Amino acid sequence: MADFTLSDFTLKEIKTLKYVRPEIEKGYTDHSLHINLSSREIEIKPIDKMVKDKFIGGKGYDLWFMWNAVTGKTKWNDPENAICIASGPLGGTPGYPGGGKSIVTTISPLTGIPIDSNVGGYFGPYAKFSGFDVLELTGKSDTEMVVLIDGIDSKIKIYEVSGLTDDSYELSMKLTDYFDKDKPVNISVVSTGSAAKNTELGCLNFTWFDAKRKRVRYKQAGRGGIGTVFAHKNIKAVVARWGSVSMKNNNPADPEAMKAVTKLHAGEINTLDPKQNRMALVGTTHLVPIMNDHDCLPVNNFRYGNHPESHNIGEAVYEHIFDKGFDGCWRGCAVACAHGVKDFVPFTGPYKGQKVFVDGPEYETVAGCGSNLGIFDPFFILEMNFYCDTYGLDTISIGTGIAFVMECFEMGLITTKHTGGMDLSFGNRLNSLELLHQMARGEGFGMIVGKGIRNMKAIFARDFGADASIMQDIGMESKGLEFSEYMTKESLAQQGGYGMALKGPQHDEAWLIFLDMVHNFMPTFENKAEALHWFPMFRTWFGLCGLCKLPWNDIVPEDNRQNPEPAKVMKHVGWYADFFSSVTGRKVSPDDLIPMSEAVYNFQRLFNLKMGYGKREHDSLPYRSVGPVTMDEYNSRMERYDKDLTENYKVDITGMEVAEKVAILRKHREARYETLKDAVYKRRGWTGNGIPTLETVKRLGIDFPDVIELLKLNGVV
Amino acid sequence: MITVDDKQMEWHQGMTIKELLDELEHVQFCAVVRLNGKLVSSPAFETTRIPDSAVIYLLPLIAGG
Ligand code: SF4
Repeated sequence: MADFTLSDFTLKEIKTLKYVRPEIEKGYTDHSLHINLSSREIEIKPIDKMVKDKFIGGKGYDLWFMWNAVTGKTKWNDPENAICIASGPLGGTPGYPGGGKSIVTTISPLTGIPIDSNVGGYFGPYAKFSGFDVLELTGKSDTEMVVLIDGIDSKIKIYEVSGLTDDSYELSMKLTDYFDKDKPVNISVVSTGSAAKNTELGCLNFTWFDAKRKRVRYKQAGRGGIGTVFAHKNIKAVVARWGSVSMKNNNPADPEAMKAVTKLHAGEINTLDPKQNRMALVGTTHLVPIMNDHDCLPVNNFRYGNHPESHNIGEAVYEHIFDKGFDGCWRGCAVACAHGVKDFVPFTGPYKGQKVFVDGPEYETVAGCGSNLGIFDPFFILEMNFYCDTYGLDTISIGTGIAFVMECFEMGLITTKHTGGMDLSFGNRLNSLELLHQMARGEGFGMIVGKGIRNMKAIFARDFGADASIMQDIGMESKGLEFSEYMTKESLAQQGGYGMALKGPQHDEAWLIFLDMVHNFMPTFENKAEALHWFPMFRTWFGLCGLCKLPWNDIVPEDNRQNPEPAKVMKHVGWYADFFSSVTGRKVSPDDLIPMSEAVYNFQRLFNLKMGYGKREHDSLPYRSVGPVTMDEYNSRMERYDKDLTENYKVDITGMEVAEKVAILRKHREARYETLKDAVYKRRGWTGNGIPTLETVKRLGIDFPDVIELLKLNGVV
Repeated sequence: MITVDDKQMEWHQGMTIKELLDELEHVQFCAVVRLNGKLVSSPAFETTRIPDSAVIYLLPLIAGG
């Protein structure tokens, strides 16, 4: 980070609530904290046992409180829209790998439905230790606010703030310094940045203080524009302050059992990560060469899956660029994959020529802001990463969004006349960065790009006369959310993983490309549907408990491959069940974890329905994610597509023109995706229209009166 | 000799990764190996020759981000 001159800022305390800190019992405080930014009301409420039993914690709690805060007509920028942040009953366990996540939800500006983001940093655990399983922020302030949750002094404070920078790095550092100068490690700050105010792609930055490097570090709740909602509410920052962290904080039911399973999981990672993915050294950048080799690395707006220059942006390069040292985004996480780069010098923007620290990049940023833009320069990616964080932007939506713009530009759908004179061909580094700076300044073509792909498609067609149908095919969004960075053309299961993901195409629900495409492990629709049930449910469970999913299946036991279903890593699932039992005292077996998630998963689908979405038509995909849109794409993998037509669809292609082959393949592949939807909906207990049936909601115990009414309104009785 | 997942194995001139995997059990989900520290992915298994004294780790099933 640059040496900032501490410009003056003023915090004026306008409301304080002194409270008696609810004790934590078996991972729960059983209390929620509600802050209304309009009325400045602060309320602490007990959490109902029913909510605890059915919604578990984390994302489950977030969704429950949001459901009760909004109506079906609520838009993202209405005051009643809530931002909820929760850890979970297991969150805040030091030393348990991935044991300290926060889950954030809100109604997304991009999708109009709940978005959820699972993020590192210390905020969620600190807020829980301060007495609250979940924080709900509603209302909209007319002046900029800072909220402090001070678990050490048992006070909630609301401040009016003036003169405080929007720049997320500088802001977090100043507030950390302000609220606990002597022990900065006691502070975690949630904030966004200047571009969140001007775009719909705003992210939240969650900090922790890196005591060794003596600097504030970051992780992002990136997806879906949560930062935009935060900025719109005029929240400058939410700060949690907490003191000592130990295995006792969660007051576990069986401390010895919790210690034992923590030791087992952490010990295994310490032994095996160096032999497996080496995430403690390279983070997730090992995925770059692997995806490239398997034709899954998005190149030039997901047109292609590999590029000869990709070795420039993979683990072999970043291993030498990352600053060495412990990089856990939670205390003692043995995976320690949250790397950063020190003394990076940007070549554009307000930090041009200054030394800064960059938190990242992870695989998604490398692929989104690198290969997908046709740029294979590791330092350019660092600069995109740095400015996205500083300005409060989601690197995934930025990468996928700019890739779309570049393809439109190269196709002549938009020209320099529309871009303010900028050449936005693939590979243009300076102008990609200029778009970010424009978003931060609130000017120029960057403001249009910052509206996201779905809005861009409408604007380009309406105002620039661009062809809407080709943009529909190449604009990589579904439900309004930009795709994360995997090529899915050859994996039907992953097309389903993206298209049927509740919040939109983010891979955290299901990542099935290798099982499906490389290993052909799920040849039938029913096999794929089974995977699209089990994996989303199990992955949901991490978000309920306040955990990170990486330690589950990125480092696996040595004998895992002898298991008939190695992708499930059942030994770890067993450990997670033990971990849950030891903390909460609720004895569970591995088989119990899926039903725990199922209730929340279906509730979220119903939430989409409540907001006017959540049906079959909303699970549609752009054809670029399913097959070759252009003849160029077809020709680049002709052998593969010809084989698909002749062997799988029994089409005689003798003498056929490429354009005709593209059209026939499309018909078959689109039909295949519809068949997959049928199979998945059936497996999940949904109607053919993608709505949970009455029987399903009753079985899961989420048959609340308003749910039954909602189903009735949608013809499900 | 070569070392595969910390175990010693016989080596022969011209040995490829595919040949090595053919000798091992439970490798149907192996898509990537680390050969002397470098990643080698399945499309290159048939053509990648293993040098003598190589140290190889079979990577777990690729699980995405
Ligand atoms: S595995 Fe990585 S991302 Fe997950 S908690 Fe640990 S350091 Fe953070």
